[in-house]
Amino acid sequence: MKTALCLLFGLALAAPAAAQDEPLRIRPFVLGTVEAFSAVDSFDAVFGRTYEPFFGGGVQIVQGNAFLELTASRFRQTGQRAFISGGQKFRLGIPLTATLTPLEATAGYRHPLSPRVLPYVAAGIGTYHYTEDSTFDEPGENVDSRHLGFVLNGGAEFRVHRWVGVAADVQYTHIPGILGGSGVSRQANENDLGGVSARLKIIVGK
Amino acid sequence: MPRVRARTAAATLVAAAALVLTVRAQAPAVRALQIEDIGLPAVVEDGFVWDVNRSPLMPQALRRIERSQQAGVIGASGRAYSPGRILVRFRDGMSMEERRAAVRLATPSGDIVARREHADFDTATIDLAEDAEAVAGALAARPDVLYAQPAYRVHALAPFVPNDPDFPSQWNLHLINMERAWEIQPLAGSTVTVAVVDTGVAYRAATLTQNIPGFFNAGIRYPPLGIQTIPFAAAPQLVGGAAASRIVAPYDAISRGLNPPLDTDGHGTHVSGTIGQLTNDGIGLAGVAFGVKLMPVKVLGSFWDVVFGSAPFEGGSDDDVAVGIRYAADNGAKVINMSLGSSGPPDCGTNPNRSGCSPVIESAMRYAVGKGVFIVVAGGNEYEEFVPPFGQNPTSVIAEIASRIDGAISVAAVDPNKVRSFFSSTGHYIEIAAPGGSNRGFGREGFVFQQTFDYVFTDTFDPTVVAPSRYTAPRFDMFANIGYIGTSMAAPHVAGVAAMLMQQGITDPAAIEAALEQTALDLGAPGRDDQYGFGLVDARAALRGLGLAR
Repeated sequence: MKTALCLLFGLALAAPAAAQDEPLRIRPFVLGTVEAFSAVDSFDAVFGRTYEPFFGGGVQIVQGNAFLELTASRFRQTGQRAFISGGQKFRLGIPLTATLTPLEATAGYRHPLSPRVLPYVAAGIGTYHYTEDSTFDEPGENVDSRHLGFVLNGGAEFRVHRWVGVAADVQYTHIPGILGGSGVSRQANENDLGGVSARLKIIVGK
Repeated sequence: MPRVRARTAAATLVAAAALVLTVRAQAPAVRALQIEDIGLPAVVEDGFVWDVNRSPLMPQALRRIERSQQAGVIGASGRAYSPGRILVRFRDGMSMEERRAAVRLATPSGDIVARREHADFDTATIDLAEDAEAVAGALAARPDVLYAQPAYRVHALAPFVPNDPDFPSQWNLHLINMERAWEIQPLAGSTVTVAVVDTGVAYRAATLTQNIPGFFNAGIRYPPLGIQTIPFAAAPQLVGGAAASRIVAPYDAISRGLNPPLDTDGHGTHVSGTIGQLTNDGIGLAGVAFGVKLMPVKVLGSFWDVVFGSAPFEGGSDDDVAVGIRYAADNGAKVINMSLGSSGPPDCGTNPNRSGCSPVIESAMRYAVGKGVFIVVAGGNEYEEFVPPFGQNPTSVIAEIASRIDGAISVAAVDPNKVRSFFSSTGHYIEIAAPGGSNRGFGREGFVFQQTFDYVFTDTFDPTVVAPSRYTAPRFDMFANIGYIGTSMAAPHVAGVAAMLMQQGITDPAAIEAALEQTALDLGAPGRDDQYGFGLVDARAALRGLGLAR
């Protein structure tokens, strides 16, 4: 998988010769996301819902129609420790706070439909830092874990001003290795901390 | 000096084993006890003094937390704080006037009082009605402020350790991690009713007037004593003081409700003590779910019940057990403890109507579980026993039924070293283990102690306890810390934890069973095995539940 992702990056940054004449543009952005997690039963048991907001920002490096995007975001939510049995979910009233901090790097391609509308697709990898702590924890019982995952997204950027664009896209992430080994995620047989998210970015720059 | 009584638990089970299959087509020929509802208080031996003025069901730690919260204001953050002041740390080098000015910019009512000894921060006073968190936020935003916060309320977070003087010696409660479980749930099951389907419970004071005829026991003829006035008292450590109201819907299934379910053996009272003996009252011993309500349901007769005519025989029978289970389920019990059993064939699961099986009990158990009741059954004490025709280590029929019902659980016993107790039956039906003790290699320290009758005053018919020449009428008002061993003692540990799980939010019996089994400390062969089932119950792990990833 790593080889494939490296190839993807290489291809994305290998801009056409014409594009290579264009200046490299660096565009910062802020990001708001609502992610529907793949681990539906686990999140429902602990938080009472299966989607959560992320907030963050990042930077795009654009040359021609190719771009590289670095994103940092964060989700933090407090729910309750729980138990799942026979499909029933029981919340035990013991506060649990989970934090997920993704650092993602994607490479993509934009195809302008008009000067104001630029659809794009991108793929990449991320490193995902997950922590979990609860009341009554003893030393060593908290979770502090970091794993690699991969990212696919697609959407469109709308130029609303010479210096400002708004991008909306849908992103799929797959994050193995954090869930599924223990906890309610093991009971629910769910091992993916990723999901599908709707993202909105406000981009500053041409 | 606490006393030990190894034989009682085993005797009850053996008696039940011998008699539980008895089928009675007619109503039991039992007599109403002649009872006056007044009696003298219990006599508690060993120098323990009980104080009815205490409120033992409310642990001191919880009261401290409640008082702390009541004295404060709940901020937008959810934390309680003391109104009227802000704790603020300015950058070094600022004069008092500069600091005062900064505070007044945040709120016109603000001022700074003289710094306290040992403090590296200032205390800013503000109007009592002002939002201290908002003012602190405004101050904290200033570049010359390192931090600012309200004076949030705090309370002691030390693990809850009951102040019962004999608690440190209760290896059984330490073994299942009770201190940390009480930390999670200080009220210990206060909304849950646990039915003790057993020999009854010493739950009320009374005076019995009984004719005691002559009888034979152990080959000895005991003379008639005629009409006797027999004192009966409530166990102070079960229902003393404010806890009298914890008794719910007591019922004697043997007499079909004719008599109150008074324990004239001690077994049911001991079992009740493990489930919920009063705790943190500075007296004696602790119990697992000391906040629960108790429902005494009598289905097992004692020696004296037979002498008094209030039970047809010692032990019980399937019909009384089945009725007791259904009664408990119909009257609000959420957990049923059955420290009783009977040996039988091993294949009742595949052939429930064969001779030796107990479909009437299975039907009652399924009925109760269907009504949301979790059932705990002792796994049996016959590992070294040869019980014809079932052989050595026979199947315990009721425990085997429990193993086939999601929402009922069978319990093996372990000793203080977390090793299966030598007597604890093994088989495919064992689902979990709990402290049941052992007198093999441990002596006194291997017993499970709770407050119940001092058997020197009740077992006057037993020549190993009282010389026949000194035979007298029994009295049921003398209590002491008595040690028992048996799977009868293991089961109520699990029942208590189950009650706390109910209180914690797991209300489905099958889910309670799953939670207990999945959080048990695996002992013996990895995974479930025939000696320990899924392992030793862990109260803290069960109550703590699971996170997303751990």
